[in-house]
Amino acid sequence: MKFDLSILAKHIPFLLEGAWLTLQACTLAVIGSLVLGLAVGAMRTSASPLLNRVAAIYVDIFRNIPFIVQLFFFYFGLPEIGIYIDAFTTGVVALSIAGGAFTSDVIRSGILAIDPGVIEAAQVSGLRKSTIFRKIILPIALRASIRPLGSVFINLILTSSILSTITLNELTGSAKIVASNTFRPFEVYFVLLVAYAALTYAVSILIGMLHRHLNRHQQEGAV
Amino acid sequence: MRYGDFTPFDIVLLLQGLGVSLALFVSTALIGLVIGTAWAVIRFYRVPVLMQIVTFVAELLKNSPVLVQLFLVFFGLPAFFKINVTPTEAAVITLSGNSAAFIYVIAVSAIESVGRDQIEAARVFGLTRWQTLRWVIAPQAAAFAIGPLTGLLVNQLQVTSLISVIGVMDLTKVGNILNLRTLKPFLVWTAVGALYYLTAKLVAYAGGRFEKRLRAHTAWRGL
Repeated sequence: MKFDLSILAKHIPFLLEGAWLTLQACTLAVIGSLVLGLAVGAMRTSASPLLNRVAAIYVDIFRNIPFIVQLFFFYFGLPEIGIYIDAFTTGVVALSIAGGAFTSDVIRSGILAIDPGVIEAAQVSGLRKSTIFRKIILPIALRASIRPLGSVFINLILTSSILSTITLNELTGSAKIVASNTFRPFEVYFVLLVAYAALTYAVSILIGMLHRHLNRHQQEGAV
Repeated sequence: MRYGDFTPFDIVLLLQGLGVSLALFVSTALIGLVIGTAWAVIRFYRVPVLMQIVTFVAELLKNSPVLVQLFLVFFGLPAFFKINVTPTEAAVITLSGNSAAFIYVIAVSAIESVGRDQIEAARVFGLTRWQTLRWVIAPQAAAFAIGPLTGLLVNQLQVTSLISVIGVMDLTKVGNILNLRTLKPFLVWTAVGALYYLTAKLVAYAGGRFEKRLRAHTAWRGL
């Protein structure tokens, strides 16, 4: 059989619609997992043993159970307890919760990497706990962990393809429809593979730029 | 008795699914280990053309969703090359390739962790290339790689859950069937999640034990 990409031309708008949905889901999930990751990362580095323990259990559970199982748990389980939300919301919530576990680990190690002298200096200066966390700890920790955060988010984009299993027609879901309409699955999925690789490559370049921008004062020779 | 009730046989079904998941996990991890290490050796010796191909393929596999790779192999290959691919074959091909790409990265950094001066010393002692690789590089590289490898394997175990989408009767698929029959999503997915969790913990534990053994020769034995 000939490898013919031209048959895909008239399906491009449909695929772009799916890509738009993927983008929306990923953006929301990135925000969600960042918020969750910050909260849980703060809990894991807090002095309270209880908060610490709760956060550790959350991370342990969601890192060790496959995402598709978590997704099915929410998708089939939530209506059981009377919460009726659509597939998109379920997907974003599940992605955020799973991503939050990974994000919190990155943020935790970012916080732990801060020189204790910096925090002691802030405490001696009489700053309040919340001020120290917001103005001293977070900026340093986040700046240092941009790169690992980036790889977590790239993973999140790749994981978002699993949302197609709960009837959500994002990029992978719409590609599935195109593949069954055109009977050319090889071309469709090959293009999809390259599209995802290009997308994540672009994101990793952006992350690298952001990292360099945020750490521009840390470089040697910077004034 | 309603057909919707749980029966003792459901436990057998779950364990069967776990067995399928585990069998695929172990076999694809081993195949991936062989291929990934071979790729790393190709890179280590800077074999012309092959090295570029390996780097490109590994990047593509790492930066695209496993689900899409799975669809490409399961739906794409049969349609394009007019061959028969069973779900299990597709699962083995995809998961092995995906594992290989990630193991390749670990193996490359493990080989690089062995200093070039050691290799030069081995050459000076008259060891052949193979002997250097087998007796100087491999033991040290293995001790270096086992930590990240354990983390990767825990992740790959969760990736195996995706093969349920193309109809392999693994743990997730069994969960899906039980869920549809009993309509008790919380119970079913909690059981499935717990089984995955325990298996992941077991893999991490085994990795830890193995690491201790590989590092035994450098461990502190006391005076």
